[in-house]
Amino acid sequence: MASRSVETEPSTQAEDDYNAMLSTTDVELLKRAWRNEKAAPEILPFQSDLIARVREQIELMEETVEEKSTLGTDPLSVSLYQMDLDRTLFLLRSYLRIRILKIEKYMFHIQKTDELWNRLSKDEKFFTERCSDDLKKHLEESVLSKLPENYQSRERQSIISEEDDMRLDIFKFDLPELKSICNRVPEPRLDTFVLCRSKDYLTGIQLGDGPVDDRSKLFEMEAGVLYFICYKSIKPLVESGKIELL
Amino acid sequence: MYGRKACQLVKEFASGEKDQLTPFNNDLFDQVISECSQHHHELQSLIRKMQEEGLDVQTARNADHYGALIHLFSIVRNKRCLTAYVYNRTETIRNLLWKIGPVIPKEIEEKLNHWEEEYFKKHSAALRDYMSKALVDLTVDMVPPKDPYIQVRVLEDIREGIVLSDNKNPNFARHSMHFLKRTDAEKYISRGLMEELAG
Repeated sequence: MASRSVETEPSTQAEDDYNAMLSTTDVELLKRAWRNEKAAPEILPFQSDLIARVREQIELMEETVEEKSTLGTDPLSVSLYQMDLDRTLFLLRSYLRIRILKIEKYMFHIQKTDELWNRLSKDEKFFTERCSDDLKKHLEESVLSKLPENYQSRERQSIISEEDDMRLDIFKFDLPELKSICNRVPEPRLDTFVLCRSKDYLTGIQLGDGPVDDRSKLFEMEAGVLYFICYKSIKPLVESGKIELL
Repeated sequence: MYGRKACQLVKEFASGEKDQLTPFNNDLFDQVISECSQHHHELQSLIRKMQEEGLDVQTARNADHYGALIHLFSIVRNKRCLTAYVYNRTETIRNLLWKIGPVIPKEIEEKLNHWEEEYFKKHSAALRDYMSKALVDLTVDMVPPKDPYIQVRVLEDIREGIVLSDNKNPNFARHSMHFLKRTDAEKYISRGLMEELAG
């Protein structure tokens, strides 16, 4: 397969053209989207157009396989088509699966963050809502309903919302750190490190980590070179498609 | 000491192996719940006492005030521990769903409490619903395919519900070996009814 097509090895013009063509096929784009989704700690925008096209192609391929296998004249090419189909199907399934796993893990966070919420597909949104309702209900039934009365109603939200006064108002007490303890919802860690590569020469990347005096320096990326870098600092570039993750 | 039992509960989960479910600790869980009621009771009586003494509950800063605070914080903390315990278990349950599919084996069912079973069912329904809308089955193809066909050995007799994509009806007797489509075989492998032969 053409997974190495973007590397900068010395190659002829014809090969370059061929590689350029390969890297823009939908399967290749899906592969890139899948890699990015797999490596990114947070959920990325749903590639709705791409997925719709890939689905169409999968249908076409299925028809071809069907047709050829009923003819039964060329079993070898049937199995090659089948293999190609299986691989594309795997990419599609894995892509959707990774997203669902992320949703399962961070549902409350995604639900309350508009930016992330808008990245989901319609079906995913529906799934997220259903999931979080089920989980809320489960927590309510198994924990919250058993607690003394005053601690149920408001506190029920303590895992999902910011406003949890925990009846501190009786005492006119303001303990921000206590409130924050009670309001943690699982969030993706954006400060993890990822392997990435850029197609073009990029400059002016602000690194948000490292020693304080280094922070003002801008980082540059050579084309085609692998970097191990904090996700947070390249987040916008991943979103705009300038950098791909591995 | 206040809050110790809740801490034990969380520790019990944390010290367990990842993705392994321990039986739901009903006993300890209920003890923490009753500890919360006890705190609540004492909190109420302290507030009542302050009111009887004619103090303004909101501004008075006497011993009773701080005593009441201790109880309040204990409840909040216990609650946090209980939710954490239940929440983290649901995470393990969700992961299980991916590994073993929507049917809970007996030995795992024993470890779940009533609500967790309900949750498992509901969540797997939600997942199924999503998959039927998205028109893809996400539970197969867990590893990238090398070859569309694999060699498998049947570990236990499979008599009913055999559905293969080529509509054939093979005899999956125990120890028999077959050459199947990977997507067909995967569901049996994940249920432990077949094993893939290396090679």
